[in-house]
Amino acid sequence: MSLDIYEMLALSAAVVAILMLGTSHLRLNFWLYGIHTVIVALEAWWIGGLAGHTDELFLPNIFGAIGLALPQHTVEALFFGLFKGIGVPIFLGSIVDKVKVEGDTGTLLPSALSMHLAIILLGVSYLLSAQLPVLSNDADTKIGAMAAMSLVFSGMLLMLTRRLAISQILGFLVMENGIYLFALTQTHGMPMIVEMGVLLDVLVGVMITGLLLFNIKKSFEHIDVTQLTDLRD
Amino acid sequence: MTQDILILNACKWIAFIIVLFVSPPILLGLVRKTKARMQGRVGARVTQPLHDLLKLLKKGETLSSVTSWIFRSTSVINFAVMLLIAVLTPWLSFKPQVFEHEIPYYAAARAKSADVKQHLPVVDGLSAKKDAALAKDLAVSTATGVSFFDVSTTGSDIFLIVYMFALARLFTVLAALDAGSVFGGFGASREVTLALLVEPAIVLAFASLGCAAHTSDLNLIFSWTASNPIMDLAPLWFIAGFALFLASLVELSRMPVDDPTTHLELTMVHEAMILENSGRNLALVEFTHVLKMAVLLGLTGQCFLHGFYALAKFDHWLVALFSVLLLGLLSIFIGVIESATVKLRWTKIPEFIAYSVAMSLLCVFIAIGARR
Repeated sequence: MSLDIYEMLALSAAVVAILMLGTSHLRLNFWLYGIHTVIVALEAWWIGGLAGHTDELFLPNIFGAIGLALPQHTVEALFFGLFKGIGVPIFLGSIVDKVKVEGDTGTLLPSALSMHLAIILLGVSYLLSAQLPVLSNDADTKIGAMAAMSLVFSGMLLMLTRRLAISQILGFLVMENGIYLFALTQTHGMPMIVEMGVLLDVLVGVMITGLLLFNIKKSFEHIDVTQLTDLRD
Repeated sequence: MTQDILILNACKWIAFIIVLFVSPPILLGLVRKTKARMQGRVGARVTQPLHDLLKLLKKGETLSSVTSWIFRSTSVINFAVMLLIAVLTPWLSFKPQVFEHEIPYYAAARAKSADVKQHLPVVDGLSAKKDAALAKDLAVSTATGVSFFDVSTTGSDIFLIVYMFALARLFTVLAALDAGSVFGGFGASREVTLALLVEPAIVLAFASLGCAAHTSDLNLIFSWTASNPIMDLAPLWFIAGFALFLASLVELSRMPVDDPTTHLELTMVHEAMILENSGRNLALVEFTHVLKMAVLLGLTGQCFLHGFYALAKFDHWLVALFSVLLLGLLSIFIGVIESATVKLRWTKIPEFIAYSVAMSLLCVFIAIGARR
């Protein structure tokens, strides 16, 4: 079993997401999320190159104006990596600065155990990916599906086992990356307009949840989601 | 033919003994030098730990009146166990022959795996290249009987090695309890707790490598023959390397787990256990500790080296050279880690060790996947 770059990128995205579960230090979590998203972006770029979506962007007025003729898949991967891999972690980091939290004390499971559970779920998703009625029945798509499902599981665990609202955003973002990776590996590239739409949705979602966090903090004086059921004036 | 083998083996013994006795203190010196440089100090010479050891050997020894024979014999037992581990395990890319029956044993093992290899169909250019490498490998080993880079020791079963480490730890703990000091007591308690947590990581990492290599002998797992079934599994090698590296930080009581330079007995783990040792006794304990460092870092380095070798093949001379250089690089890396991180709170340490176990679990999955 020697892995090619396609499989190596997909699996390393899954592994970095699993490592996020092991620490409750928020800054480290953002860093790992950034790395993980950049790996997903690289995967998107690589798949775009493989699928031959290298024709130039037919919205030439964006990059053509500054004299850049970038292939479509490069532009997509660049947007994805810049906005989600670098922008979102910086934005979340600034929120953490303002609401003054540092770490997350897990609720349901200790973070070490949830990381090990995520690895077992990686094994489960390996078994599941073999059962999947895939479009093209090659090893690449199976490994891609496995990594994507593992990402969804990791995001779910992150949302379930964490106490702070900001970690819930992080879990949601990891799940979203998983769904994106699934679509990417099963279809060998989506139309640009779909990808841009998804990216925009996620960015707006993160902005709104960021604003919500401030309001939660203001009215509850903490961002602990397990105590949000207490009603107050 | 036999004379060639004898001369070769003599060369290997000389090179091995030099590295075995000189490099471990120098590795510790490298860690300290890196830390000093990162803190803006000049720092002691790299060879300073070597001089310290020689100085300690000349000094007299103070013994507590409550100690029994265990305390005195522990340092000797640990030294002997660690030397045996160092001779048996493939922590360098060159190893001397210890027992006489080993060459035929290895020839048979190689012939067997070559036989398996020849029956595999040539699918693409990659496997043709592999076959060429294998043929070259065989040519070298049949010309001289055995080449300089064959790891020609047997008997380093995974579990034997892991539990020899545990034996050394048992005696360290016994000696700490024997001296009857309070600090020795809780140093021992902490050491045993850490050992309990970190052992699954090491065993799983080695076992998954063994599972993928179809053997439980460390020397066969880390053999440089092209016919080795895990020669191309770069991800497995790298992840196992990370797992072993994190585990060896714990085993060697380095920074995120234990501060080796602390003066506060309350926070010590390893240092608390050897507070009562002095003079020659302490010299042996210290040398055992640096030797353990060299062996564990060497095994880690071998994992990474195999990983790089799986990605891009390079010459056998370079392999031997890199195996020594990697020891130095890893200890410099430890120095950087120690400067950049703080000692973790005791309750946070299981979280750190969990990363090592997680890496080992990943190794297990990759190994199972490779077996299917």
